[in-house]
Amino acid sequence: MELSQFIQNLMNGLAIGSVYAIFALGYTLVFSILGIINFAHGAVFTLGAYFTYTLVVGQFENNGLLKGVNLFPDGSPFSGQPLTFALATLLGATLAGLVAVLIERLAFRPMRSRGADPLLALVSSLGVALVIVNLIQLLVGAEIYNFPSDAYGDTPPALSFTLGGKIVIIRTVQVIIFAVSLVMLVILGYVIGRTKIGKALRAVAESPTTASLLGISVDRFILITFFLSGFLGGLAGTLVGTAFGVAGPYFGVVYGLKGLAVIVLGGLGSIPGAVAGGLVIGLAEAFVPPEFSAYKDAVAFALLFVILLVRPQGLLGRAAIQKV
Amino acid sequence: MTDFLSTYGFLIVTMLQAGLLGLSLYFPLQAGQLSLASPGFYALGGYVAAILLTNPAFAGLRDTLGNAMFPLTWLAAAVLAGLLGLLVGVPALRLRGIYLALATIAFVEILRVVSLNLTFTGGAVGIFGIPQAFGFQDRWQYVFIFGPLLILTLLFARQLERSRVGRALRAIREDELAADAMGVPPTQYKVLAFVIGAVLAGIVGAMSAPFLNTWNAKQGTFDASIATLAFVLIGGSRNIWGPVVGGALLTAVPEVLRFLADWRLVINGLVLVVASLYLPQGIVGALERLGRPRPPQRPTPVKPAEVTP
Repeated sequence: MELSQFIQNLMNGLAIGSVYAIFALGYTLVFSILGIINFAHGAVFTLGAYFTYTLVVGQFENNGLLKGVNLFPDGSPFSGQPLTFALATLLGATLAGLVAVLIERLAFRPMRSRGADPLLALVSSLGVALVIVNLIQLLVGAEIYNFPSDAYGDTPPALSFTLGGKIVIIRTVQVIIFAVSLVMLVILGYVIGRTKIGKALRAVAESPTTASLLGISVDRFILITFFLSGFLGGLAGTLVGTAFGVAGPYFGVVYGLKGLAVIVLGGLGSIPGAVAGGLVIGLAEAFVPPEFSAYKDAVAFALLFVILLVRPQGLLGRAAIQKV
Repeated sequence: MTDFLSTYGFLIVTMLQAGLLGLSLYFPLQAGQLSLASPGFYALGGYVAAILLTNPAFAGLRDTLGNAMFPLTWLAAAVLAGLLGLLVGVPALRLRGIYLALATIAFVEILRVVSLNLTFTGGAVGIFGIPQAFGFQDRWQYVFIFGPLLILTLLFARQLERSRVGRALRAIREDELAADAMGVPPTQYKVLAFVIGAVLAGIVGAMSAPFLNTWNAKQGTFDASIATLAFVLIGGSRNIWGPVVGGALLTAVPEVLRFLADWRLVINGLVLVVASLYLPQGIVGALERLGRPRPPQRPTPVKPAEVTP
């Protein structure tokens, strides 16, 4: 492989890998607290992109119940400027976080208080995903929506140079995705590692019973976890949406599955593991030779299958203590 | 009657098919193994049948065998699904709980991407124009093959539960280490249960390819995995009737709700949420509890004063 191609693949891999990482963090946070996998996380990802789109554009021109309705008659509040687009992104992610909180209250908490089989939580969260995806389809149709080009989709490449006679282009969107993900990771790492909230979260993850005996309100921290999870998922959705367009209500399904591969690869419940897993899968996909590009979507799952057989606890996970 | 069958025949057959797929997941679950691999084997079985029934390479075979070709496709699908089940099951069943579930999801996804890209599976378009089994004129006639398969499977499952193997599987489900200590080799039995499920899913796939007339990569997806799991859990995972009832009901719900037009899929999701909240034992489990006398109350502890002589 030529150096120019190598650098190009590396940048593509880092950009997509960092989105995988923040998306998968949402999964792994919930898993580390509740020990369940929230299958609605992919739907929250889709929702995040749609929320941001709504804030920026304010109307939907395709099929669906909201066709032609103008939500912001004086023009949308966040369109036009990259800065206001960033605000819309944050607000969209926040809304996605609130939806995740709602999911917790309606679908997970009642089940937890009954002490139901964790497998049923899986089915319940899948039901939630079905509801969200089909509501989106009903409201705004199944078509692709693209963020307006003046948001930052079409800005000139951040960097382009010639190397060995080949042009290497680093898209601005890629740089932004990478930078935003990195900032999120640093903030999250700080919150979880250094603050009181993070300490409480870790305590709840370790043992909810002990934590509640020590005066930590477990239910409140579960809500915080779900908010963080939804925020990260929604943010990832908008970031991917700016790069590729929001590809319909089923936009998040593939990401939802790859996110699973990412967290298992890194180690279920491990935060650095989710980051490592995201980058490994992003890079592995970017370096798939063009003649095998049709098999790109299988890379994550092949890696997942292999890691499960070789090292079931994942790259950075702790081996689970077997209950006797 | 014919009106009824031509209107609801397709639905009835689909309900039977869903029940069978639910059962294919129920077998490994009997040994406590949560496998979501059924749609993978189902897709494989369908491809085997579709290829045997349409590929020009088998034209001579089809001419010689005539209608006997269809049972042959079932057999071929069963054998291939069984072999693949063995190949995947032996390494994968070292994993437990959610890890096994994720490994089988990965297996289904890999199979899907591969079938999307091979030429003899028809790529993204898939295989179409699959001839109707035994020259059936109407879709409801597939009751004649899915029905007996369901009855046979239920009989087999019942006999299995009562046999030594069934007891071994239950022992592994309740406590694998204890079962191992008692001389029940867990791996052997877990692989057996997994392969039984794989073979069943493969046969159902082979029967479904002519029923659906076309076969493509959409047949074996993650959504299908979860739908099948929902059949079992909503129906009840501790009784052979659970997967059958769950599969039939969850297949019927969207059809019954057809008058709600676009909202029916939203409501389908709500049904999953509500059912998993309020029927933790599944429908069959809840019915069983209704029919059983309430368990005796704990005896009130004897007061120390009464014990003292």
